[in-house]
Amino acid sequence: MRPASAFPVQGKLILEPALLEDWPPMLNSRNRQQTLAGLAFVSPWLVGLALLFAYPFVASLAWSFCRYDLLSAPSFVGLEHYQRLAREIVQGDHFGQALWNTAYYALLSVPLSIMVAMGLAIMLSWNIRGQAFFRTLFFLPSVVPLVAAAILWMWLLDPRDGPLHQLLMLAGLPRQLWFQGAQEAAHPATFMQFGSKDALVLMSLWGVGNFMIIYLAALGDIPRSLHESAELDGAGSLSRFRHITLPMLTPIIFFNLVLGLIQSVQEFTRIYLVSEGTGEPVGSTLLLSLHLFLAAFQDLEMGYASAMAWILFVVLALSTYLLFRSSRHWVHYQEQLR
Amino acid sequence: MNEYRKPLLVGLGIILLTMMIHARLRSTRNDRVPTDREEVVFWHFWGGADRQVVETVVERFNASQQQFFVRAIAMPGNNLDVKLFLAVTGSDPPDLINQDDPIIADWAYRGILTPLDELASPQEMKQLQPWLLPAAQRLGSYQGRLYALCNGLDIRALYYNASLVEEKLGVDSLPRELPNLARLDEIAHLCTELDDQGQPLRMGYLPDSRRLWAWGVVFGGRFYDTENQQVTVDTPPIIAALDWMTSYRRRYGADTIQAFRQGDQSLPGKIFPLLANRYAMIMDGQWRYRDIAAAQALERAAGKPVTRYGVWPLPKPAGATSSADGWVNGNFFLVPRGANNSQGAWAFMKFWSGFAGHESEAAETCRQGGWIPASQQVIKQPVFQQFLSAEPLFARFVELATSDQVPTPLVPGAAMFQRTVNQAAEKGMSLASPPSSTHLLQQADREIQQHLDRIHSHRATRRQER
Repeated sequence: MRPASAFPVQGKLILEPALLEDWPPMLNSRNRQQTLAGLAFVSPWLVGLALLFAYPFVASLAWSFCRYDLLSAPSFVGLEHYQRLAREIVQGDHFGQALWNTAYYALLSVPLSIMVAMGLAIMLSWNIRGQAFFRTLFFLPSVVPLVAAAILWMWLLDPRDGPLHQLLMLAGLPRQLWFQGAQEAAHPATFMQFGSKDALVLMSLWGVGNFMIIYLAALGDIPRSLHESAELDGAGSLSRFRHITLPMLTPIIFFNLVLGLIQSVQEFTRIYLVSEGTGEPVGSTLLLSLHLFLAAFQDLEMGYASAMAWILFVVLALSTYLLFRSSRHWVHYQEQLR
Repeated sequence: MNEYRKPLLVGLGIILLTMMIHARLRSTRNDRVPTDREEVVFWHFWGGADRQVVETVVERFNASQQQFFVRAIAMPGNNLDVKLFLAVTGSDPPDLINQDDPIIADWAYRGILTPLDELASPQEMKQLQPWLLPAAQRLGSYQGRLYALCNGLDIRALYYNASLVEEKLGVDSLPRELPNLARLDEIAHLCTELDDQGQPLRMGYLPDSRRLWAWGVVFGGRFYDTENQQVTVDTPPIIAALDWMTSYRRRYGADTIQAFRQGDQSLPGKIFPLLANRYAMIMDGQWRYRDIAAAQALERAAGKPVTRYGVWPLPKPAGATSSADGWVNGNFFLVPRGANNSQGAWAFMKFWSGFAGHESEAAETCRQGGWIPASQQVIKQPVFQQFLSAEPLFARFVELATSDQVPTPLVPGAAMFQRTVNQAAEKGMSLASPPSSTHLLQQADREIQQHLDRIHSHRATRRQER
């Protein structure tokens, strides 16, 4: 029998059939001891997983059908919270507004983060003087604490005295309200008038250093022979980027897309800091995570918050599933090229 | 198994070492409880210079005691509610907390607070009611029962730059109070200075959307009808108050005032914007007198002319029949249900607030902290009277504390109540073309009423199930 093996290929774990042939394994005395010792070592994690993740996960589903303030026993209300959430979506209030804000933020910040991180990585992969210095420079913002970064951005985007405002004035461009405005630059009614959500999107780009590092690693992984062959065939740099670099980066783009989507929907700290936990101005920074937090811990509506969390979970799971389905058409793994 | 023995032993050794270091550090802390005393765990929200005052009060109390020992834990920031909530639900609450958020009614309603009549003797309760200022009584009561002991009132009034206003009006002195709201508008517009592009360099006055609570009651409104359990946010006086506030937005433009407001946040060291000459008048609380005194001291030291400041009570609209003079909130002590040492907590509350013979200690505490006492008996103390003579701006706030000051409604769901009213006012003030004040407040009224009804119906369901 061939020895069982598993090896990662560009983000995919390939399991050989031999791996499954011996399952379940017959445990001899030594194996049993090893298994027990292994379980003992991972038991803190297993207990943590069961108590801090699995139990709340299941319990929150039950609570989403109850009125519950954590202080008295939950009382069953059926689908009341889900009906209320549906009503709020239709009316565009509270949950509806939070859903729109989150969608707006995610749809802008995720693609922008991917593009900026990839663009930076490509430029930083060029063999230029001071390459290491620039790589460090562009990565540094990712290690700046979020609180410090939030304060810095609030100053940068001050619509009256901030440096960006001064630059806009010099260029003869109109004043932007950033964190003080409820406008949406991507909305046809307020096109190019930047408000608080746009400021949050800009702020999210501050942390693209992590993604950038992954792109840099992936760029280094692209076989030079591919570029050399294409060059011999007369391909220009743009053509090589389009037909070699970009396809070879698609597994990483896909990875960052899924991760970025989840992160953007769960975004909390930045919003809490810039709006002082209120979702202001005019509810324009009330993203789902903040709305959920306020409902649970300020209004003590755990049932309603749980229902919201489940809707959030379903939306995320569905989006991730759709992304995985679509990935068959646009993500190219190296082994497929062999 | 032998191969695992070594890493297991190393792991256990690290855990033991950590525990020993932690125990050693604990034993060297200066707040360790003497063996002959009962510990009182006290959570509070004070930070910065105020925290030092709190620590001094705790030290003075501990020095005066044979029975109790207070261990103060500072939790500055705005998450004390959440931490307390989790501690209560986890059955490990502190013995006492000091808080300033409108949580009393909510928590009393849910049965998490110990009413004061369960801590104090009947004799003490009889003395306590008249001992407190009316505003302090209102702040601590829910459904006619005292759940909190106020230890400091927060009063809002109009600070004004006297030097500037006198210059703009061309007068040598200013009255002690403004005759009406129209006069405030007049002075505000006179003191506003715009640049060539129409952007304000200084605003005479700019209503803050979070202060509809104050203007609403000054216009004669009440946000909640306790008797009929009805939200009354959309009543004519409150609509009129919001209309008046939004008149500033209509005059100067939403974007302009939003941008100007943001500038307040960017001032170095978050300086009081009145001192940065960004406003001629601004509504704020009594604690700002210290900033003004410090700025005047700096001017004096630099040999510059000293800018004079004053305090006006909130003016009422001409012909208003309202008796309310303003909006009050404050700091108060709460004892959570399940506290281990509620009697120790009660002893400390009395010491700090000044009740039951501790008036002179409380006067000293309020002098150090610049806090408005909850009782006239403390205000009367010689040490506090001397302080008032030395600080005339602060003294004006103490005067106002004895007038008719209305708190945020004491109802369950107060956090949502407050948030929703603030959001309605914010929309009125910051949207370029917002819905009418009536529409905004009607919507807020409806939402709050639904929220309160949900809370009440939950209670009714629980009762039926029992």
